Amino acid sequence: MRKTISLIILASLFAVSYRASAQDDLSPKRKQAIDSLALEKVRDLSKYISIIGDKKTPWSDAQRVIERAAELFMENSEIGVSSLGKQDVNYYKVREYFDRLMQLNYDKVSIDWYKIQYVSDLVRQPDGTYVGVITVYQRFQAYDKEKGLVYEDTTKKDITVYVKRKETQIGGRLIGFWDVMLGDIRVKETSK
Amino acid sequence: MSEITSKIKSIHWQRMMFILLMALMVAGADSCKSTGKMSKKERKAQIESAKLQLQPIISGTSTLSYDEQKRIVNGIMDKNLNDPILNDMIIQAQQKLKTLLAEQTQANAQKVDIARAALYDLLLNKDNKSADELEKELNAIKRQNLNDTELNDLMARLEKKIQEMRSGGGNLPMKAHLENAFNTIANSAKTGNLAQADNTIQKTLQLFTSDDALVLIIISREGDIVDYDKPTNIKRYLNLLKDTKANKNDIDAIVNDANGKIKELDLIKK
Repeated sequence: MRKTISLIILASLFAVSYRASAQDDLSPKRKQAIDSLALEKVRDLSKYISIIGDKKTPWSDAQRVIERAAELFMENSEIGVSSLGKQDVNYYKVREYFDRLMQLNYDKVSIDWYKIQYVSDLVRQPDGTYVGVITVYQRFQAYDKEKGLVYEDTTKKDITVYVKRKETQIGGRLIGFWDVMLGDIRVKETSK
Repeated sequence: MSEITSKIKSIHWQRMMFILLMALMVAGADSCKSTGKMSKKERKAQIESAKLQLQPIISGTSTLSYDEQKRIVNGIMDKNLNDPILNDMIIQAQQKLKTLLAEQTQANAQKVDIARAALYDLLLNKDNKSADELEKELNAIKRQNLNDTELNDLMARLEKKIQEMRSGGGNLPMKAHLENAFNTIANSAKTGNLAQADNTIQKTLQLFTSDDALVLIIISREGDIVDYDKPTNIKRYLNLLKDTKANKNDIDAIVNDANGKIKELDLIKK
């Protein structure tokens, strides 16, 4: 009797672990889809940052975009700020960073992100979250009404991305979705 | 000469007249028989003609309709020509007609099935066809004269739907309408025309049950495994189009509520 129970437990454990492993093994197509999704979220962030920094953006629009941009991040994430004249990199909580970005004391600000690509591929962690690092180059240009371009730099930044599969019930349907969350944005180097 | 004259005189004219009258009656009766009972020659001709008429029916090469063929066979049977070969051919033709009728019934049932499926598709309008497109397909089904109660009911429902679509204004399919709106929002924002982007957003939102109408974005579909982006709502999605200045998704499905408003939009990565 004991043997039978042990066998049943073993078989159940095997079935559960097999199912879990089948869920974990993403096909190349699905993996590519989540890779692209995470990259797209970073690209969305780049557009948001550009809008927030743009002095022509109406205040209400900037506030709305700050909300959307902040939602992309994990709680307590920080964004690094550097400049050519300073050695230190200052890190700000996401919302504070966006508020400061909106209030930069220039007449015109232009922020462009380019070369957005993975430096560290998404890798599955024991808890099922996929973690990777995406690098971006940011071109920052600040203008004064009279003097024209007064400051510019290029900063290489690394963004940690977390992608986790979640499920939600919508209208009786179980929807499996990939939640992409951005972590800290670390400054790697700043140059003219 | 006198001999001939005496012979003529010797004829009993009254008897002659009687014989002539009888002969005429017999002849008359015989000619009447030709309408009810034909001569051998006529009968033979009719048998040959009947055989010729039956041949294409038996071989299945007749181009006539089932009803016309049946009328021909019945006509030949009514003539009662009583020819063994012809009788055999009539039996063969009847069997052929039975098969033909069974085939036609089956074909008709198939047509009804196809039309029913097509009508259900048109009623759901998954492809977001315009009222004109729906009407064109409805008319094609009508022209088949399938005479089926369920089909008639479905056709009536589709007619009502077409009328509702027309009364709701805008004959453009909803899918195309939305795609136009999405492109307009993205392109307007790209060219800096934010007022137009905002205006299009407001107009587009009116097509939905509310600003919170569900938007699902499929990022991957592999067999029955569907991976989505985080669910969002239509207002946020339209603003995303404006903010990112790009329309990166195709429309996969539109789900309407009972009032024809969109309650769910499923998109898929281009």
